[in-house]
Amino acid sequence: MSQTDTAETAETAETAETAATTVNRTDGQDVSTTAGETAEETRPEWTSYDAGGETKLAVDDLDVHYGDDHALKGVSMDIPEESVTALIGPSGCGKSTFLRCLNRMNDRIRAASVDGSVALDGEGIYQDGVDLVELRKRVGMVFQSPNPFPKSIRENVSYGPRKHGDIETGLLARLTGRAEPDREEALVERSLERAALWEEVSDRLDDNALGLSGGQQQRLCIARCLAVDPEVILMDEPASALDPIATSKIEDLIEDLARDYTVVVVTHSMQQAARVSDQTAVFLTGGELVEYDDTEKIFENPESQRVEDYVSGKFG
Amino acid sequence: MSRATRTALVRDDRTAYEAAAGSAVGLSGIAFAVGLAALLGLVAIDAPVAGVGLSVALGAVLLALGAAVVGFGVASRTGYVDTGPQPSAGIVAAAAFTGIWVAVGAAASGAAGLGTGGRLGGGAVLGGVAFATTALPREDIGSTVPAGAVAGLCGLALISGVVGPGWEHALVGYNATLFGDTVVPVVVLFASLVTGWSAAKASGGFGARGRNVGAYVLIYLVVGSILAVLVGLVAFVAAKGLPGLLNGVSVGGAGLVSWPFLTNGAGLLADVAGVFPALVGTVWLVVGAVCFAVPTGVGAAVFLSEYAEQGRFTGAVEVATNGLWSTPSIVFGLFGAAFLIPRFGNQKSLIAGMLTLGFMLLPLVLITSREAILAVPDEYRDASAALGVSKWQTIRSVVLPAAIPGVTTGVILGVGRIAGETAPILLTMGGGVLPAKAAAPDVLGSFRLSASPPFVSNPALLEATSALPYQLYALITAGLSGNIRNPQEFAWGLALTLLLVVLAFYAVGIATRYYFRQKLHQ
Amino acid sequence: MSLTTPRTDWRASIERRLTRTRAFVDDADPEALAVILASMGSLLVAFVGFLLASAWTAVPFGAFLIAAGYGWVRHQALVARAVAFAMTTVTLVTLGLVVAFIFAESIPAFRYETASVFGVSVPGLGMFAQARWDAVSEPVRYSLLPMIHGTVMVTTIATLVAAPLGVAAALFVAEIAPPRVRELVKPGIEVLAGIPSIVYGFIGFTVINPWASDAFALNGGSTYLFVGMVVGLMALPTVVSVAEDALTSVPDVMKDGSLALGATDWQSMTSITLPAAFSGVSAAVLLGVGRAIGETMAATVMLAGVPRISDPLVNVFYGYETLTSLIARGYGSANGVHESALFAAGVVLFVTVLCLSVGSQYIEARMRRRLGGAE
Ligand SMILES: Nc1ncnc2c1ncn2[C@@H]1O[C@H](COP(=O)(O)OP(=O)(O)OP(=O)(O)O)[C@@H](O)[C@H]1O
Ligand SMILES: [Mg+2]
Repeated sequence: MSQTDTAETAETAETAETAATTVNRTDGQDVSTTAGETAEETRPEWTSYDAGGETKLAVDDLDVHYGDDHALKGVSMDIPEESVTALIGPSGCGKSTFLRCLNRMNDRIRAASVDGSVALDGEGIYQDGVDLVELRKRVGMVFQSPNPFPKSIRENVSYGPRKHGDIETGLLARLTGRAEPDREEALVERSLERAALWEEVSDRLDDNALGLSGGQQQRLCIARCLAVDPEVILMDEPASALDPIATSKIEDLIEDLARDYTVVVVTHSMQQAARVSDQTAVFLTGGELVEYDDTEKIFENPESQRVEDYVSGKFG
Repeated sequence: MSRATRTALVRDDRTAYEAAAGSAVGLSGIAFAVGLAALLGLVAIDAPVAGVGLSVALGAVLLALGAAVVGFGVASRTGYVDTGPQPSAGIVAAAAFTGIWVAVGAAASGAAGLGTGGRLGGGAVLGGVAFATTALPREDIGSTVPAGAVAGLCGLALISGVVGPGWEHALVGYNATLFGDTVVPVVVLFASLVTGWSAAKASGGFGARGRNVGAYVLIYLVVGSILAVLVGLVAFVAAKGLPGLLNGVSVGGAGLVSWPFLTNGAGLLADVAGVFPALVGTVWLVVGAVCFAVPTGVGAAVFLSEYAEQGRFTGAVEVATNGLWSTPSIVFGLFGAAFLIPRFGNQKSLIAGMLTLGFMLLPLVLITSREAILAVPDEYRDASAALGVSKWQTIRSVVLPAAIPGVTTGVILGVGRIAGETAPILLTMGGGVLPAKAAAPDVLGSFRLSASPPFVSNPALLEATSALPYQLYALITAGLSGNIRNPQEFAWGLALTLLLVVLAFYAVGIATRYYFRQKLHQ
Repeated sequence: MSLTTPRTDWRASIERRLTRTRAFVDDADPEALAVILASMGSLLVAFVGFLLASAWTAVPFGAFLIAAGYGWVRHQALVARAVAFAMTTVTLVTLGLVVAFIFAESIPAFRYETASVFGVSVPGLGMFAQARWDAVSEPVRYSLLPMIHGTVMVTTIATLVAAPLGVAAALFVAEIAPPRVRELVKPGIEVLAGIPSIVYGFIGFTVINPWASDAFALNGGSTYLFVGMVVGLMALPTVVSVAEDALTSVPDVMKDGSLALGATDWQSMTSITLPAAFSGVSAAVLLGVGRAIGETMAATVMLAGVPRISDPLVNVFYGYETLTSLIARGYGSANGVHESALFAAGVVLFVTVLCLSVGSQYIEARMRRRLGGAE
């Protein structure tokens, strides 16, 4: 990947984005304020944040409709590489929707229609002919509620690599001597260790994953995602079902991951966002991205009054 | 960036290859369709095509397809195109090709005059080779070369006339003979399936994506065939039955339609023989079964889902219901014959048929009603209970109305099912082969009061009565002959009438469900 | 259900029920109780009268109608509950009656076909220990083996048709089809279930049999091959709809999880959905097998009607008789032990299919528990 290439794409995306958000403002300003938010006009410059470094995901003027329901309105933002981006906002504001757009999981929802563009390393993921399998290999996802497969813990972790043909375990592979049980073992151990689960399950890798506790299941899902070795990891409230200790493990993990991966994490906990993220995007009711900036800036001195109210706990 | 290689999201270097493989899939589809037409006798296998017989032409197509498929594999293996094959074609493909080639080997050695031992040997050798070729090399070779070889071999056999028009092979001991007329189409169908699958895999670039495409092609083919069979069946019966059904139809004066096939009996006096008595019989049969099964089934469903607590009793009822649901209809017939007939005048009778079908309908109604009642959200009940309304009032005014759509749909579909049942009424209701109009049961007009028990009697209910499915069966066993002008045409008209009656129930049932679902979504 | 100490479990539940009944009796209006007692009592008497084939059955039944009608006006809630309970027992009673009657009627045949092993005479063994069925000429024997062979042949072929096609079609409807297509295919397959079996049989008799006779140079056109295929087509809708239910009951989030890891749709289906729904899908196949075993009319009309085992055993080009067609063809003209032997065939059918049904219910229940995460 050439450096100039990305920079260019990012720049073009940014100009387009400014134009788009400006247009959007005129019709989007009378947002309902029933949730206790003060009426306020959002300004494009609040979201046109440039983190520096290479842009991994460039989102440009993204609109999502569920039937007639307008769930995301003209969202544009650049997510920098090898960093943690937190998405915060009140329930139902479209965080999960936004996240699902980044690896096209919204294609699975029949009512959903997506307009706008998202580029991964400068390559549009909504253009024709995109190989969804390839995309999802590169952009992994951990869901809001844990969803392990009804298989053994080991099989859960090695599922992705097996399906991609990276590890062979079938009968035929064993017959022809191509099976690599040691490599599988090592991969399972490494992934579980990174997800802070290894110690708890190392002696029962062959048990059904549905027998794990909710928090363990969530970490298993993280391990499952890491085993595929994606470039971007999308996490939808990965710590919502965890106790404080496991939560802090996950938070450490996220910070650790940011060295190699681009992490986008949705969270309801301001503290968590403040602790782990490099930059934070605030979505507010109605599916608007209101402010996107350095995490410190967002939590200490946001431009928007509504964001200030939200992060200081006045509503949400 | 830590990753050395990164695959692009969009590939555009494979388009020509994909297009070629796609055309091979299409060509296989065409070969399949032609094979099917030949099997059904729509085209003859020696019909001339481009100067040669159809069988030879199809052989050439199969040979070309086989070669193309092998070509796709080789092109991918030699790196001429960029694909994503896995290290092996997998155990399923290996097993399938082994099976196919074992059969080919056995057949070939049999044809070469070898005995059982030779057949086994030939099968084992070819099967082993096929297994090795499929399982050991990379997927792009493993899933193309054995497939291409199968198709090529079939093609060569057809081209060379080893199998072709006029070919025949007696199956010794089976007292049957295979002819080219059936074997050639079957060979074509089979070989085109194999090449279609293999080419589809190639067009997906092998690997996970290729397997996806291959599997989808097969599944679409399966579903397409099922629907084709359905449409074909209905169309066939309609084409054959319409002349009989519409025989003598006229729109008389004052806009009155006269439709003798539906309003006449089959006596000597009727100039157009009709199915009136059987039609009336079927109507009464359905009415009787519904009168018995619907109140009982719905009542039981209400009790099970609203009153009874989950326990042994409900468990037993559930097992009994499912057991009854799957009990063969002929067993219901036996039961009706043993239980009902002695209690209703020791002869086959309309009421015995009604009750037998009622017993069959009962589990259907119970299952669907229970589902419909359970689908009513608990909030409705809670809301009603919170207003201090008694349980029965809640059921009557909240639960049942909300469950009515589901119950109605279930009942209609169930009725469609029993209206076409023959086996139970064959044993319990009987009736004549070609009843005259006077034999139609007049249930409403035959109620009599009497001074001795059972005080109420109805001779029409106690007589053997014909119904549409039974009459069709009786006609068949009578060898499609009878005292009417054109028994064949009559039988087809009867079959169409029966089909239409049943399909009408299904259409109404499905439409009701659709309607209620639409309303729910508004 | 707990397996521990079933006895105490029983006793506790009986006690609980007793106390509840006592409380109920204490609470209820005495008149309502009387009405319910009267109506339920007369219904019971009517049922017994009907069992005894008494002409007086109408009297208690009339009494039931009057009592229930009166109660409906005065004490609707209670009467509704009581009547609903009575209706629930109808299912159990029906199954009981089916069992009782077909078993009772089959006893003479089982007696007749008594054979002895190691000096112990076993009633009915003769039906399975030799292969002669001849109700007319001496020696009169009633072996069910030829028909069991026929049923096995037809069911095997039917299953080979219905199981793969049915599961493929269920996958299509549940996972692959776009919503519009599904709205079309699903009712289509339901309609396929609605085509009466006698219509299939009629087409088989007038079209397929003559064609088969011609195409394979057979003596007559009855073949297990084509009967099996027709029956498979008839069992197909059952397989599709039950398997589809099982597939759609796999939570969407599981499939999402697989897709999000970069697996293809087909991989997600074969590695996640199908294994998770495996029990349900096998239950579907079992039910399909049950339908095929019990299918009567197509077999009756298309088969030759000769109780004989084909030679060689797997000769699919000739079709003689199945258990179902034996009954349909023979009932009415048969009497005495012969008729009873038909009931014995019914018993074999009934028991087989009931086992399949109970088996599939057990498998399905296990699947529900597994997906619930309890295992
Ligand atoms: N599958 C769907 N079909 C229809 N509407 C949906 C669907 N999923 C989400 N929505 C709607 O889109 C809006 C945004 O939902 P989303 O799940 O993205 O919110 P969220 O910010 O993730 O909330 P939470 O914090 O509670 O998870 C909501 O109004 C929701 O009702
Ligand atoms: Mg969410």
